[in-house]
Amino acid sequence: MPTAPVRVRPEPASFRDPTNRVFHVGDEVLRGLDAQAAEHWRALTASTFFPALVAAGKVCATEDAPPTLVPAGVPWAAVLRHERIPFVSHPYEWSFTMLRDAALLHTEILRAALADNFTTKDGSAYNVQWHGAQPVFIDIGSFEPVRDGEPWAGYRQFCQTVLYPLLLTAHLGVDFQPWLRAQVDGIEAEQLRPLFDGTRRLRPGVLTHLHLHGAMQQRNAAASTTDVRAQLRAAGFSRELLLSTVRGIEKLLHRLDRRPTDSHWADYQRTCGYSARDRTAKEQFVTAALTAGTRPRLVLDLGANDGRYSRLAAAYADYVVAVEQDPAVVDDLYRALRAEGQHRVLPLVLDLADPSPGGGWRGVERAGFAERADADAVLALAVVHHLAIGRNVPLPEVVDWLAGLTAPGATVVVEFVHPEDPMARRLLANKPEGLFPDYRRDAFEALLAARGQITDRLELPSGTRTLYRAVLGD
Amino acid sequence: MIHLAYLDAGSGSLIVQAVVGGVAGVAVAAKLYWRRLVDRFRRQPTDQR
Repeated sequence: MPTAPVRVRPEPASFRDPTNRVFHVGDEVLRGLDAQAAEHWRALTASTFFPALVAAGKVCATEDAPPTLVPAGVPWAAVLRHERIPFVSHPYEWSFTMLRDAALLHTEILRAALADNFTTKDGSAYNVQWHGAQPVFIDIGSFEPVRDGEPWAGYRQFCQTVLYPLLLTAHLGVDFQPWLRAQVDGIEAEQLRPLFDGTRRLRPGVLTHLHLHGAMQQRNAAASTTDVRAQLRAAGFSRELLLSTVRGIEKLLHRLDRRPTDSHWADYQRTCGYSARDRTAKEQFVTAALTAGTRPRLVLDLGANDGRYSRLAAAYADYVVAVEQDPAVVDDLYRALRAEGQHRVLPLVLDLADPSPGGGWRGVERAGFAERADADAVLALAVVHHLAIGRNVPLPEVVDWLAGLTAPGATVVVEFVHPEDPMARRLLANKPEGLFPDYRRDAFEALLAARGQITDRLELPSGTRTLYRAVLGD
Repeated sequence: MIHLAYLDAGSGSLIVQAVVGGVAGVAVAAKLYWRRLVDRFRRQPTDQR
């Protein structure tokens, strides 16, 4: 055992419930519990529902931490050790079906808990993380014994961070991601109600969960929850009623679906103009790059589209994060990965030219994408022209950005689409003539060479695209 | 807009759950409001809230 002092780093996203707190010690993810939370944990381990959920991979594996692991001076009654989540993501980076599956996991866990005299004290979408395309509940501190005659305390939060975003997309065809990204506590009923007027009030879930809920919140703003709990108990609120409420929410979740949209990117793989020979050459190049050194722990696939190269990378890496801008494309990819039972590819909605910033308290409660991206390999296939021409990002900036996403010594596989390529020409046609004189293959190659080492290159058979393997910023 | 604290279940959010729960729940909510009404009449005029 190492005897050198290890650094204790409190998890910035874990402070809202003072009874327990997550912190990092080296590579370990630990959770400190106060006396009451420790008592709840002991009851939880003795329950039947909790070990079953952990065994099914639906709740993150957790065990009592050996006392030797806990640094001196940590003021907790008990300390737990959680399994590591390979890549932490936020609900505003998920697609519609991802958020819906996270919601269904939450309600399934709540139902199982209620049947065993437990409940969850909150209902946040942030309670869920992912093992690839499988959602996993992480907030062990949320479980507590249920008190008879009381409704679910997490319902309001569940509406704000899960149900209202889903209503927005399912009923109005509006992407929820920007709304969730803007407000760490989710969407307030009063913000959404004006959008659901007229006959839209009659869409599933709107009248009760949104309008009635919003009106009730306003009418009861002055009443304390302690009084209301007592009044509900006196009026006969029962466990059966609570269970039927949860079942009602589940039924609604099953009815909500994404409205099909005409997505430009949905056809990309078909229309992007690759020949079969190009594709084979590209796959061989990527495979060679990923198998050249030690097995990568984390691979970022930037502009993943239908996930072809993410799946390829998953064969040679521990975990792949497939980043794509179009929520509809990510949703299709997620559904496909879920059907394949893929646990090592995580699809995320993210605009590379406007990635998730830090959010919440002091801007660190929800870490920005750049803070989380520390990849051993980055695939940037057919994205550079979208950033450099489509979004006017200067080419040197694009290369610097690629270097910033990687751990030292990491591999970058980057595709440069020549200005003569049909896709580049299509992008250039929408811009004033002569705006990008430096968008040339030789200029790009010089930038890569100036920031690292090019270890391999391949011109694709079509002759208008070049692949590079490079180690940047070492 | 009402900004509620974290881990504050919200009074209105607790009551509306009864209604969401179906017919039996509506009866519970009705009972709660009926009791509040009766309570108010009983307390008048000495206790104006």
